[in-house]
This record gives sequence, structure tokens and C-alpha cells, in this order.
Amino acid sequence: MLSRKLPLPHKLSWSVLSRAVSDLAERQFDVVVVGGGHAGTEAAAAAARVGAKTLLITQKIATIGALSCNPSLGGVGKGHLVREVDALDGLCGRAGDWAGIHFSILNRSKGPAVWGPRAQLDRERYCQFIQSELLSTPGLTVLEGSVEELLVSEPNPTEPGHHRVTGICLVNGSQPILSSSVILTTGTFLSGSLFMGQTMSPGGRIGDAPSCAGLSHTLKETLGLRVGRLRTGTPPRIVKESVDLSLVKIHAPDQQPTPFSFLNKHTHCKPEEQLPCYLTHTTPGVERVVRESLHLNCHIQQDTKGPRYCPSIESRVLRFPGRQHQVWLEPEGLTSDLVYPQGLSMTMPPDLQLRLLWEIPALHRAKVHTPGYGVQYDYVCPTQLNPSLQVKSTQGLFLAGQINGTTGYEEAAAQGLWAGVNAARMALSLPPVALSRTQSYIGVLIDDLVGRGVTEPYRMFTSRAEFRTSLRPDNADIRLSPRGFEELGCVSHRRYEEAVRVRDGLQEGLAVLQSVTLSSTNWRNKLGSIKLSESKSTTLNGLDLLQYKDVSFEMLAALFPACLSHYLEFSPRLKIEAVYRPHCEKQSREIERILKEESLFLPPDMDYLSLPASLSKEVREILDRVRPHTLGAATRLPGMTPAGIVHLLHYVTRTEKKNHQGPPKNQLTQPEEKMCASNMPIPQ
Amino acid sequence: MSPSTSWKLWRSAITTLKTISRAAPVRCLSFPTDVGCDAETIFALSSGHGRCGVALVRVSGPASSMVLRNMAGLTQILPIPRTALLRRITDPHSKELLDRGLVLWFPGPHSFTGEDSAEFHIHGGPAVITAVLQALGSLKGVRPAEPGEFTRRAFHAGKLGLTEVEGLGDLIHAETEAQRRQALRQMDGELGRLYQDWSSRLKRCLAHVEAFIDFSEDELIEDGVLNLVESSMLQLQTEIERHLRDERRGERLRSGVQVVIAGATNAGKSSLLNTLCQRPAAIVSPMAGTTRDVVETSLDIGGFPVILSDTAGLRDAQDSVEREGIRRARERVEQADLTLVVVDSNQLPPDPRNAPAFLQEHLSTVLPRPSLEHPEAGTEAASDRILLVLNKSDLVAGGKQERIERELAGCPAVPPACFLSCNTFTGLGAFLAVLQSRVNTLCGDPLSGAPTLTQARHRAHLQHSVQALSQYHQYRTQDLALAAEGIRLALTHIGRITGRVGAEEILDIIFRDFCIGK
Repeated sequence: MLSRKLPLPHKLSWSVLSRAVSDLAERQFDVVVVGGGHAGTEAAAAAARVGAKTLLITQKIATIGALSCNPSLGGVGKGHLVREVDALDGLCGRAGDWAGIHFSILNRSKGPAVWGPRAQLDRERYCQFIQSELLSTPGLTVLEGSVEELLVSEPNPTEPGHHRVTGICLVNGSQPILSSSVILTTGTFLSGSLFMGQTMSPGGRIGDAPSCAGLSHTLKETLGLRVGRLRTGTPPRIVKESVDLSLVKIHAPDQQPTPFSFLNKHTHCKPEEQLPCYLTHTTPGVERVVRESLHLNCHIQQDTKGPRYCPSIESRVLRFPGRQHQVWLEPEGLTSDLVYPQGLSMTMPPDLQLRLLWEIPALHRAKVHTPGYGVQYDYVCPTQLNPSLQVKSTQGLFLAGQINGTTGYEEAAAQGLWAGVNAARMALSLPPVALSRTQSYIGVLIDDLVGRGVTEPYRMFTSRAEFRTSLRPDNADIRLSPRGFEELGCVSHRRYEEAVRVRDGLQEGLAVLQSVTLSSTNWRNKLGSIKLSESKSTTLNGLDLLQYKDVSFEMLAALFPACLSHYLEFSPRLKIEAVYRPHCEKQSREIERILKEESLFLPPDMDYLSLPASLSKEVREILDRVRPHTLGAATRLPGMTPAGIVHLLHYVTRTEKKNHQGPPKNQLTQPEEKMCASNMPIPQ
Repeated sequence: MSPSTSWKLWRSAITTLKTISRAAPVRCLSFPTDVGCDAETIFALSSGHGRCGVALVRVSGPASSMVLRNMAGLTQILPIPRTALLRRITDPHSKELLDRGLVLWFPGPHSFTGEDSAEFHIHGGPAVITAVLQALGSLKGVRPAEPGEFTRRAFHAGKLGLTEVEGLGDLIHAETEAQRRQALRQMDGELGRLYQDWSSRLKRCLAHVEAFIDFSEDELIEDGVLNLVESSMLQLQTEIERHLRDERRGERLRSGVQVVIAGATNAGKSSLLNTLCQRPAAIVSPMAGTTRDVVETSLDIGGFPVILSDTAGLRDAQDSVEREGIRRARERVEQADLTLVVVDSNQLPPDPRNAPAFLQEHLSTVLPRPSLEHPEAGTEAASDRILLVLNKSDLVAGGKQERIERELAGCPAVPPACFLSCNTFTGLGAFLAVLQSRVNTLCGDPLSGAPTLTQARHRAHLQHSVQALSQYHQYRTQDLALAAEGIRLALTHIGRITGRVGAEEILDIIFRDFCIGK
């Protein structure tokens, strides 16, 4: 077990960092990652863990792992992603445990499937952890620089695609850097523009130079990728001591912080050191300022799609006028003298921003440290990607994060990890891998992106997951860690052993529970106040009992200490398993069907327009445009017909029979159906 | 879960229940229907409707033996595999006698689908068929088959050769088309509005619960959202239950092959209707636009039930009443199993060689264009569903008629055409023969105009919906995620009637109804 204080894994040593390209010892890598945000760092770390020689290129080493917007991680849906990234040995969960200064489990009263682990973060500590973790990753080099363009050559004729990426060229770099795979995680920097009031300037984040002009050109012109435009925004940062704390509601963290990572028993921050958040509300005055400033606010006048769930204060009051809107004041760090006003993202001129803030009682004398601003940026329509996050038309080119039209650190981290694993596999001549939406939120995220595309910045919600009762934050380790070690190689041995130990322990515990049987009268006598619906003479086992709301595993272990006390360590998880198992079993047939359909691959270079099958023109066009990777993905396409699916099924089975020698190399390998915790067999 | 595990669980369930049954024999009776099956069992009417002596209902899936136990009184032992047995077929809940018929038991893997299967050979009357299908739908874990599902299961079980699969797509196409037409027929009525209303209320309930799950911690979600959902759901549940109990079924379903007469004004459509039903059911006059609404009559053609509808002539009408009539006419054509397109022979071009092109052009103005929603509707030659009636043949010279017939025979793209005079009845015999063979084919096809089947599907889905809703109430205070699962399930079942509901649609409602800021 880890000690109470988590030490930073390694002292920052800058030896593997290169400030200039001339410092680079070598110019040949397996994987080059462009961008050091949440997608880029996970991608680089994952690629290196899989065993690829990896280079991370970032504009400024100091901003690696920066939290550009809100100082928090997790939440409902997003917390699920963090747990899954952690289960695959990613960074963000452990970084959150290191940097968190206010932990809470959201939705505590609504059932474990939708619990949302969340933390406010100390910005500095977060960067610190990510940077030190990257430095300690063997096989990973970090370089400060700006990428001029992608090097593209003729495709490898044995694989699908029109181009092949061979490396990158740096601005001012005389010699190219060669690599088998390139992962672009450029966030909002792809043709990014910053908006404040009526001024517009090129860039992806305030204080950082614009970049990626050459990349933008290569993607659009050379590779012919379809791009769209999205917008987002960030609120002004407020000086903490200028907030009138007598006028806010204090929101305390959980008394006992729950770590994100399956490896941590404690968080770095002690429970009593945690900082509170504050809640306040908008007033009619806020609405007035917004309306009066509209003509000076060019970001809000544009019709580029912004997110519906993280709208600026301008769109909130315009869409829902005459209401009070919540404003959360969140700490930026243990020692930071700033607060982050969640819900007040705005793009009006700075003087009006101040006027707006002053309309909120608690902020009536607020001082602004940095004004809010809007960003508009290009994203690559993600239907042009495979489920491995590789661009379909370009061998070796992977995209992850906001460049794929998503929003949020967690969404970026999840894609980064997955792109990193696959980019490394490609470089090491291993077949690509996919995660099913029946097995993980990462799978839901990627399937939604590559299968349906986006029309607004995509954010994870639990309502997107059909199998929400199986994909819980509590069981992400047994869902993903074993596969991550056995098949993907992105999970350490230590984590694997722990996950297997937990999996076996749970399985045993459930079996023992099932073997403990008593008549309901007997249970009633032993447990006292518990209301059992069964008639007197019915025999019930421990698992049946545990499904009752008021029965805990501890209570049962107290009754049968000899056989149950051994499993006390797992008691919360055993309780969850007992309640959810019947529901997950109901879904298992549907999951099986989807997995079966997802194991039927559609060749990426299939000529749908002239396929000899009776498909309608419309269906052909849909298939030709989206090019689903598997039959399962095709089934979920809007406009697809049952008849079309059967024709496809027929075609695929026929071709598979013809090339009987197993699937071609470019196809994704799907795991044999892995048992998720809830579907674990009970030994008889 | 692996099959072997599920088998183990199943066995352990049976063992447990045996113990229980010794102690409390009363519980045993309710066991087979209450046991939750993780694999779904499906059923469908596999024979044609219309007047047939015997109807065949197939059941496939792990609950098949349970179905036999419950509905054929086979509580003790199952019949010898693949051997017909005459049984009383009863309602599993009320034990009321539904029919006497043959039952067959096909244990997997030696069955068409490779799964445990059962067959019921019952009497062919619509009342018996409806009763049996509804009884099947009321069993837990048993649901009506989706289009092509039997065949798809057989395919997955490796029971079909690839050549047989070639036909599967076409079959499914036909099934979805038939279901679509049936759904259209029922959806434009009161029943359709009722289902749509339930569906949209349920969607809203789900959206509000999902909003509460995904956003309430950070957002100002109005207090009492869940209370509103709760009362709305209770109301919904009561309404659906009341509807399911109502033996009058709300409205009369048009049972029979739907044949629609359509065409330009004054082509003689109403005369054709009157000729066919041998009485003046519709008003005829030389004035164009006489028929303004749909006139419907039931007919017996060659022993098969047919609903014949006469519609308003299609033209650019000025009068709003007539325009509405034309809209209804087009709607009816879209829902038809068979359309009789009536053409005034006088309008045919003077040169017989131009007749095929003229008729094709004419058809394109009468028939609905394939819509975007149903892209496959127009791909197949619609000619199976169309018969051209060249009326007023008494006004065309006999020689010209023959030449036109020859031209048309050489042009397979044009649907079959018959010259007919509603005035002199010349050609009536030949036309009736063609019509009867068409109706015959349609009735032999289990897919066409079988409202009993659709009705049974609807009932089954509504029943499952109600059951799922009770899961919401059961878990409401304990676990909102599991409670929400109940609404999701209920919506999936209603969605099988009114159209699938995706996550995006729910999110749309969330963002419309709530101001989500984070």
C-alpha cells in the first residue's frame, strides 16, 4: 500500500528534455506526439508504455499538462472516463490525486453507476505531476518546438489509405524528424482565433503564440480532410481577496476524499487541508449588461457551434432570460490568490466584463486578473477516423482531443491514451485495437465520434452509455486493467496484479455469499429490523440479502465472520455487485449481440457505390461517406436499414470465407468477450 | 456471460426452486412465467392471414419450453421432439381455452434457428390467431420477432447456407416495408396519436431523470423535477394499463388486404368501385372532382377479405375540401398493399408505341415518391403493388387496344394493365381474374395487411413497457440509475411501435428544458 504522503515519483530532472532541436540525440522515432495538453501527454506516456520510442513536441515545456480552463477534474460521466484512463495506467487519475484540493463524489445519492468522482485541482501541482511523470517514463523524449508541417509520402500499398505520414518538420528545424506514427493533439490551436469584445487575434490560448498554420494547411489541402469550426470560451479569473465571502454559500468537500486512481488509497491533500468552493447567483443586472454589450461582442454574434452545456453567460441569459443562474467560485490552488468563476465564461470587452461581475453581489468589488475570452478553432470531422483514432486516409496519422471536436480534459485524455496505444502498435507492426461501447465509456466516446461525428463540442454524459449499469466507475479496473496488460501492454505488472487480485477476491466473495443460506425467518431473527418481503419459509442466501437497501456486507460478515470477514476489504464493491448483478445479466445478451456484430469487420477500402448487393442509393451513399469499421458501427448509422445490414452481413461473411486465412492486418482485433465484474461467473 | 455459466445459473435456479416447491408448492405455479430469462425468446405468425384453415405460430429461444409448459398444459414432460401432439392451448394467466391445436417441440440445436423452438398449429381465424399471439406476448421474456429475426438467428447459428442468405435481405426488406405500411395505417388513427403521446411523455420523463442524473449536482435543476416525473409516470402507467384491459381496443382495425383505387380526375375510379362491389357505393357523375373523400367498402374477392378504397382524383385543385381529399388519397396510396391506377383510355397517345412511356409518366404523378425517411421504398420495382386499369375501353377501337397491349407486354417496367369498360363490363372477367390472383398472393403472404399481428406486437410492447415502468418505482428511492433503467427499457419498447429513441434525442430535450451551464 502507498504511504500517506504521495511523493512525486521523481525529482524534476531536465536531462531528457530538449530545449532546442539541436539537442536531440536522434532524429528517428517510433511515435511523435504534437501537443502537450491532456491528450498529448496521455498519448506520449501510453505510446512509451507500450514500448515505442516516443517524442513529445510542445511549444512550451512549462505549459505541459496545463489546465487551460477550469481547475477541476472528473464529474458525472467525466469521472467515469478518469477512472477508465487510470485503469489503463494513464496519468490523469494519479495526477488528480496528487493535485486535488477539494474532492467530492457527485451523485452520491443516486446509485453507484452514476457516481461522479470529482476534484478541484491545484494548477501548479497538476502540471508538476504530469511533467515529472513524463520525465520518468522510459523511452520518452520531450522537445520544445513548433511543428511546421507533416511529412507525407506515398501509402504502403498493402494497407488501405491514400497517404502515409513519415514524420514532421519543425519551424527553424533544418532536418526533419522521422517517425512511423504521428499523433496530433493540437487542441484549439488549429486555425485558432481568440475573441474579446470586438478584437480578434490568432491563437489557441491567451499568452501562447499561434501555431499550426502549416499543419492546418497539410490537413486540409494535402490530405484533403474535412474540417469544421467550433467555439468555446473561458471566464475571467478573479482576485480571491476581492470576493465578498460573506455573500456566498460555502460548499464543503467530502470529509474523506476518495482518490481517482485504483492504485491510491489516499489523496496527496490531507482531508482537513481541503479548500471549499463557493456558490453565488446572477442577478437581473447581469442580464442587462449582456444585452447592452451585445453589439460589442463579436464572438457571441457568430453562428459557429458552441457547446450547449458549457455555454457562455451571454448565451445562458439569452436562452433562459429572467432566471437566476448559478455561479461557482472555485479555488485555483492551495496558494493561488485567484478564483475561477465557473459559469461566467464571457467574451465581451474587458471593461464590460468588470461591470457584469459587479452586478453579482458577492463580486461587487471584484478585481479581474485575466479577462475571459472566446476561442474559435478548426476540428477535423471525426468520422474520417478509425476506431483506433487513425485518419482513415493517412497511414500512421492519429488525432486526439479537441481536434476531434470534443471538449473537456477527460475526453481529451481518454482519446490521447487510446491514440497513443494504437500509434505505438502501428509503429511496432502490431494490429490496431478497439474498445467496444459495451465495455467502456472510452468505447462510447470513440464510437460516437467516429460513427456519428459531432455538430457541437462533444462532452461525455452517462446518458450516452446504453450499458450504464455495467460500466460503473467502481469496476473500471476489472473491466480494463487485465486487458490493458495482457493484450495492449499499456498497464504495468503491479497494476495488473492488483486488478486480478481484486477481481478474484470479488468473485470468491460473491460465491461465498451465495453459499450462506438461511430461512427468511432466521435472517429476520439475526438481523432484527430488516424488512424482508419473502414469506417465512423461503430460503435466502447472503447475496439475496445484500440486495436489500439496508443490508451491508459488514452486517453479514458480523453474522458469519469465519467465512466472510476475509472479504471485508471489498465490502462496498460486493454490495454494488450484489445490487447490480441481476440488471447486468439482463443486458448481457444484448452486449453479446453487439460484440458479435462488432467482430464482423467491413474492409476500409470497400467500394460501396458499386457493391454487388441490392442496396439503395441512399444507403450506399451513407456507407460510402462514413465507412463504418464494423457491422456493429454500420447498424448504428442513422438512415441505415435492416435490409442493408443483412446485405452487408452477407457480403462480409462471403468475403471472409474467401480469404479464409484470418483477418487482414489492418483490421482491428477485438478481444474475446471479457467478463466485466457484473457478469462474472459464480463458481458453483 | 458464457453459455456454460448461464446454464449453471439456470440449473442453480431450478435447484433452488425445487427446494422452494417442496416447502411451498403454491409458488411453483408462478415459477415458469416469473423466471427472468437473459436470452430473449421471439414469436411470429409464420403463415399467411386471410382465410386459411390452419395458422402456424413459431416460437424460438430459451423460453420455448416454458411457453409449451404454460400454454399447452405440458407441465410434467415436454413432448417427444419433432412429433406433433394435439393439445388444448390456453391463456397462461387466466387458463382460458384459446384453441385446440397441434404443438411441436424442437429442442436446440436441431431446429431452424438452432435454438429451442416450438410451433403451434392453430385454427386460422383472426380471433384465434390474435388470442394466441397476445397470450405469447404476455409471457415474460417473450416478445414478437423483429423483421427477419428468425432467419437472422438461423444464419448466426450456421443453419443457413450463404445462398439462402441472399434472399434474407429481400425478405427483411419486404417485412420492414409491410410493417411500415401497417404502422402508417394505424398511426394516422386515434391509436397512433395515443401511442405517440405516450412515447413523447415517456421521452420527457426520461430526459428529466437523465438531466437530474447528469447535471443536478452542479446545476440549478428545479426542485421537484423528480416529483413531476413520478406523477407523470404513474399517470402514464395507469393509462397504458387501462388501455390494455380495454377489450374494445379503442378503434376498429381495418382487417384485410388494402386495395386503393387512384388516378386522375374523371378516369372512372368510382365507377370501378361500384362495378366491383356491384352496388352504387360511391356517387358517380361526369363532373371531374366528384369524389372528395375516401370511400371505403369491404369486399370478398375469391374468398379473401379486401378493403377497397376509392379516392379523390388527383389534380391541382383550387377548392380546399378537394385539396384535403387529394392529400388523403395520396396518404392512402402510400399505405396500400395494392393500388389500382385507373386511366382514361381516351387519354392514351394516338401512337400505341408511345403508350408505355405515357403510362410510366402518368404513374409517377400518381404514386408517392420514395421519401428520404424510407430510402428503400422506391428502389424495388413497385410494379408488384400496382395494377393499371385502362378504363372506358369501349371508346377505343379494338385494333388499337390490341396494339397497345402488345407494346405493354414488351415493356416489363410498366405494371400489368387491363382494358376494361365499367360501362359495358367488357374485360371485367379478365380483370377480376388478375385482381384475384394478386389478392391471393398477398393473402398468402404473412406480411400483408395482418392487423392482428401488428396488434399483438403493440400489446406485447405496451405490456413490457408497463412492467419496465414498475422497475422505476421499485428503485426510485434506492438507486436512481437502476430506476432510470426502467424508463429506458419502457421507452425502448414503446419505441418499437413509434420509432427508436436515441441518446441524442434525450439530450436535445434536456438542453431545451433546462439551462445547463457547466
